[in-house]
Amino acid sequence: MNVGLPHFLTVSAILFSLGLFGVMSRRNAVGILMGVELMLNAANINFVAFSRYVEHSINGQMMAAFVIVLAAAEAAVALAIVLAMYRNFGTVHADSVQSLKR
Amino acid sequence: MGEHILSWMTFFPVIGAAVIAFIPSERKEVIKTVAAAAAAVPLILAVQLFMTFDRTTAGFQFIEHYTWIKSFNIEYFMGIDGLSVPMVLLTAFLSFICVIASWGINKSVKGYFALFLILEAGMFGVFCALDFFLFYVFWEVMLLPMYFLIGIWGGPRREYAAIKFFLYTLAGSVLMLLAMIAFYLHTSDPVTGGHTFNMLHMFDQANHSEWLQGTNVRHVLWLALFIGFAIKVPVFPFHTWLPDAHVEAPTAVSVILAGVLLKMGTYGILRISYPMLPDQALWFSYTLALLGTINILYGAYCAMAQTDMKKLVAYSSVSHMGYVMLGMAAMTSAGINGAVLQMFNHGTITAMMFLCVGVVYDRAHTREINAFGGLGMQMPLYFSFFSFALFAALGLPGLSGFVSEAMIFMGVFPVYRTITIIAALGIIIGAAYVLWMLQRVFLGPKNEKWDSLPDINAREMFTLVPIGILVLLLGVYPMPVLDLMKVTLNNLIKVVAG
Amino acid sequence: MELNLNIPSWSDLRFWLPEAILCITFLVALLGDLVVRGRRTWVPFAVSVAGLITAGAYAVAAMNHGLDAGQFQGHTIMGSLMIVDGMAGFFRLLFIFASLVTVLFAWTSEEIMGKRRENKGEFYALTVLLTAAMMVMAEARDLLMLFLSMEAVGLISYVMAGYMRTSLRSSEASLKYVLFGAVSSAIMLYGMSLLYGMTGAMEFDGIRNALISGTVDPFALLVVVVLILAGMSYKIAAVPFHYWCPDVYEGAPTPVSAIFSVGPKAAGFALMIRFFYTTFAAGTDAGTQLVQDINWPLLVAVMSVATMTYGNLVALRQTNVKRMLAYSSIAHVGYLLMGFVLLSSAGLASILFYLLVYTLMNLGAFFYVVAINNHLKSEELSDYVGIGFRAPWAGAMMVIFLASLTGVPPFAGFVGKFYLFTAVLDKQWFWLAIVAALNSVVSLYYYFKVVRAMFLSTPAEGTDMSPLKLHWLQYVVLAMLAIPTLALGLFFEEFKGLADMAIGMMGG
Repeated sequence: MNVGLPHFLTVSAILFSLGLFGVMSRRNAVGILMGVELMLNAANINFVAFSRYVEHSINGQMMAAFVIVLAAAEAAVALAIVLAMYRNFGTVHADSVQSLKR
Repeated sequence: MGEHILSWMTFFPVIGAAVIAFIPSERKEVIKTVAAAAAAVPLILAVQLFMTFDRTTAGFQFIEHYTWIKSFNIEYFMGIDGLSVPMVLLTAFLSFICVIASWGINKSVKGYFALFLILEAGMFGVFCALDFFLFYVFWEVMLLPMYFLIGIWGGPRREYAAIKFFLYTLAGSVLMLLAMIAFYLHTSDPVTGGHTFNMLHMFDQANHSEWLQGTNVRHVLWLALFIGFAIKVPVFPFHTWLPDAHVEAPTAVSVILAGVLLKMGTYGILRISYPMLPDQALWFSYTLALLGTINILYGAYCAMAQTDMKKLVAYSSVSHMGYVMLGMAAMTSAGINGAVLQMFNHGTITAMMFLCVGVVYDRAHTREINAFGGLGMQMPLYFSFFSFALFAALGLPGLSGFVSEAMIFMGVFPVYRTITIIAALGIIIGAAYVLWMLQRVFLGPKNEKWDSLPDINAREMFTLVPIGILVLLLGVYPMPVLDLMKVTLNNLIKVVAG
Repeated sequence: MELNLNIPSWSDLRFWLPEAILCITFLVALLGDLVVRGRRTWVPFAVSVAGLITAGAYAVAAMNHGLDAGQFQGHTIMGSLMIVDGMAGFFRLLFIFASLVTVLFAWTSEEIMGKRRENKGEFYALTVLLTAAMMVMAEARDLLMLFLSMEAVGLISYVMAGYMRTSLRSSEASLKYVLFGAVSSAIMLYGMSLLYGMTGAMEFDGIRNALISGTVDPFALLVVVVLILAGMSYKIAAVPFHYWCPDVYEGAPTPVSAIFSVGPKAAGFALMIRFFYTTFAAGTDAGTQLVQDINWPLLVAVMSVATMTYGNLVALRQTNVKRMLAYSSIAHVGYLLMGFVLLSSAGLASILFYLLVYTLMNLGAFFYVVAINNHLKSEELSDYVGIGFRAPWAGAMMVIFLASLTGVPPFAGFVGKFYLFTAVLDKQWFWLAIVAALNSVVSLYYYFKVVRAMFLSTPAEGTDMSPLKLHWLQYVVLAMLAIPTLALGLFFEEFKGLADMAIGMMGG
C-alpha cells in the first residue's frame, strides 16, 4: 500500500477531532490543554504533508517547527496559570472556578 | 456682529456656558448674572433681526455658508426665512425669561446655567441650520443638557422621566438619521454632482436620484422623518414621555420644553418633510389632520382628568399642538399661517401657564388642584395673571390664542369639513378643563393652610408681564408676526400643493 | 516631524524601527526593574514611556516619509513575511497612543502599583511588548507571521490578565483567557493548514493568486473560512466566540482590561482586514467575487447583528460597571463588523475610523473606572451614586465618553457610527443599518444608567459626599482622551482622510 496525502489528512482529521472532543469533554484544565496539543499537532501533520505533496518546498515544515516551539511556550504559560489557580482555588477543574459573575 | 448675526446668536450662549464653567461654584450671584447676560445678547440680536428682516421675499436671509467637512460635503450653512424667524424670536425671548425665572435655583447653580445655555444654543441652531447634517447635530445636542436639567433639578420621579425623554427622542432621531443618510446618498449637488447635505438642494426634486423617486421609498422616508418629528411634537401614540417630563422638570425647563422644544417637531415637518417630499405630504395630509384631531380631543380629555396642575398644562400642550397639525394638514394659506402663528402663540401662552404653576409650587410645594381653593382672595395679583393665561389658552377673543385657532379652523374647514367639526369640540372641552381648574383653585371656600402664602413678587412679575403684553398685543393685532412669515409660507404651499 | 533614519540602506529592518525600539525598551525595562527592584519604582515606568514616545516619533516620521513620497504602498520586511504600508502605519500610531495613555494611567492605579506602591514594573514592560506584537499583527502578510503574531499577543495577554497573582478574580480571568485562546488558535491553525494545502501558498498574495485561478473547491473553502474566522472572532470577541470576554475584563486589573478592550481587538481587525481584503476581495473594490459560492456578506452581517444585539441586551442587566463595559465592547465589535460586510474600501475605512474613536472613548471610560476604583475599591453601580458631584470635572469627562459610546452628537462616537451607516446604506443594506440604529438606542439605557448613578440619584443618608482628590496625571490623561473625543465629533476631516489613506495605501 502506498502511503499518500489522503492518509496523512485522515490521521490529522482524526487527531483534530479527538483533540476537540477532549477540549469539550474535559473538566480538568490540564486535560483541556492536552486536547489543544492534539489539535495543534493535527495541524502540524497537515502542514508537513502539504509541504511534501502540494507545494514541494519547506515552507510547511518551517511552519510546523514554529508551531511546535509556540505550543511549548503556550503550555508553559498555561501551566503557570493553572498552578496559580490551584494555589488560589485548590482545584484544577475549570468549571468549578466561579468567582466571576455569570 | 452684523455679518454673522445667526452664528453670534447661536454661539454666544456657548461662550457664556464656558465662562460659567470657570467661575467658582460658591459665587452663585455672579454665575446667574453671567447667564442672564449670555441670554440677553441673543435677545438683543433677535430684536435686530426683527427690525431688519426682509418681509417681502420667500428666500433665505442672513445666510452664512462655509465648508465644514469637505469629504462628506458637509457645510456650515445657516440662514432663516419666514418660517424660522418666529421660532428664533420665540427662543430668544423665552430663554431670557427662563434664565430670570430660574433665579431661585440653589442646587449646583453652575451646572444648571451652563447646561441651560448649551440647550439654548442647540435650539437656535436647529432653527437656523440649512445643512441637514448640521441640523441633526444641533437637534441632538439639545438632548444631553435636557436630560440633565430634568434629571438633576427635577421632581421626585426625575430619573425615570429624564431617561424616558432621552430614549423616546433618540429612538425618533436615529430614524431621522437613517433617512438623512439616504437623502444624502441620493441627492446630487447640481454644480459638482457629488452627494450633498445642503437642504436647498434636497428641496429641488430634480436633484433626487432615480431610486429616491420610487413611491415606496418615498413612503418609507416620509414615515421615518415623520416619526422622528412626531415624537418631539408629540403626536398621539408617541406622546407618553411628555407628561412625565413636564411634571418632573423644574419650572423654567418645562417652559422651554413646551414653549420651544415641542415646536421643533412641527418646524421639522414644515422645514424638511414638506419641501423634500411634497407628494408624500399630500399623500399623508388626511392622516395628519386625523392625528391632529386625535391630539386635540385626547389631550383635552386627559387634561380634564388631571389633578396635578402641571400635568393638566402638559396635556393642554398635547391638545394645542393638535391644532398646529390640523392647520398644517390643510395646505391652505390660512391653515398653514395659522399653524405657525399657533406655534408662536402656544409658546408664549403655555410658558405663562407653566410659570404660574411654578409660582404656586414654589410657595405651597404642591400642585394638587384639590389641595387649593379660594386662592383668589389670598393672592389676587396671581389670580389675575393665571386666569389671563388660562383664558388665552382656551381661546378667548382678544387674546392671541384666539387669532391662530380661528385662522386654523378657517383654513381647514373648506378642506376637511367633518374633521373640523369634530376638532371644534376640543375648544369646548378646553374651556371645560380650564374653567373647572380655575374654579377649584381660586374660587370657593379658602383652605386655612394657605393663609400665609405671599402674593406674586417682583421677579415673577418681571417674567410674566412681558409675555402677557405680547399675548394681548398679538390678540388684538397679529400682523407683526404674520407679516414675517406670510410670503415664505404661501410659497411653501405653492411648492407642496402646486 | 523630521527624523533622520540612520540605518544602512541595505537593511529592510530600517522600516521596522518602531518595533525594534519597543523590543529593546521591553528588555531594558525588565532588566532595569530587576536591577532597582524595590527602590526606584519609576525606572520601568520612565523607560517604557520614553520608549513608547520614541517609537511613536519614528512611526510618525515613517508615515510622513511615506506620504511625502506620494504613495505608501509599503516595504516588505524579512522576505515577504511582513509589510509596512499605510495601513500598518495607521495601526502603529493607534497602538502606541493606546499603550502610552494606558502606561501613564497605570502609574496612578492602585491595582497595578499595589497599596504601598511596592514594585510591579513588569506591567510596563509587558505593555510595551504587547504593543510591538500588536503592531506585527497589523503588518503580517504571511500565514506564518499571522499565527506567530497572534500567539505572541495571546501569550502576553494571558500573563497580563493574571497579573494580580493572589487575586481570585485575576487568576480565574487568566485561566479562562488561556483556555479559550488556546482552543481557538488551534482551530484557526487547522484551518490555515487546510488553506495552505488548497492553495500551496503561505503569503497572502500567493493565496489570492491561487484563489483567482479558480481551482479551489468552494465547499472546502467555506470550511476554511469558518475555521479561520472562528480564530479571529475570538480575538475580537465577536459572537459566538465572546464567552471569555466579560469574565476576563471583569477579572483582570482594570488598566489591563482597558488595553485589552482596544489593543488586541484593533489588532484583530487589522489582521482580518488585511487577510480577507487581500485574499478574498483580491485587494480591489470589486467586492467578494472570489468567494461567490460563500455568501460572505450575509455571514458577516448575521455575525454583526448577533454580536451587537447580544452585547447590548446582556449589558442592560449588568450591575458592575466594568462588566457592563465588557459587554458594551462586544456590542461595539458588532458595529465594527458592519463595515466588514462588503469588503469595500469605504466600509474598511469606516472600520479604521471607528477603531480610532472607539480607542479614545473606551479607554476613557475604563480609566474613569480605574480612578474611581482607587477610592471606592468597587466597580458596583450602586457604589457610584453621587460620585459625579464628588469629582465634577472627571465626571463630566465620563459623561462625554459614555455619550460618545452611545453615539450622540457632537461626540466622535456619532461620527464613527455615521460613517459606518453611510458605508452600509450606500450598498443598500437597510435592515443592517436599522438594526444597528435601534441597538444604539438600547445602548443609551445602560450607558446612562451609569450617568444616572453618578449625577441623578440621591445618595442615601450618611453617604460620604466629600470631594474626591484624583491624581493630577489622571486629569491629564482623561483630558487627552476627552478633548479629542469632542474635537473629532466636530472636525473629523483630517482623521477621516487618514483612515481613507490607510486603506487606499494597503499593499497587497
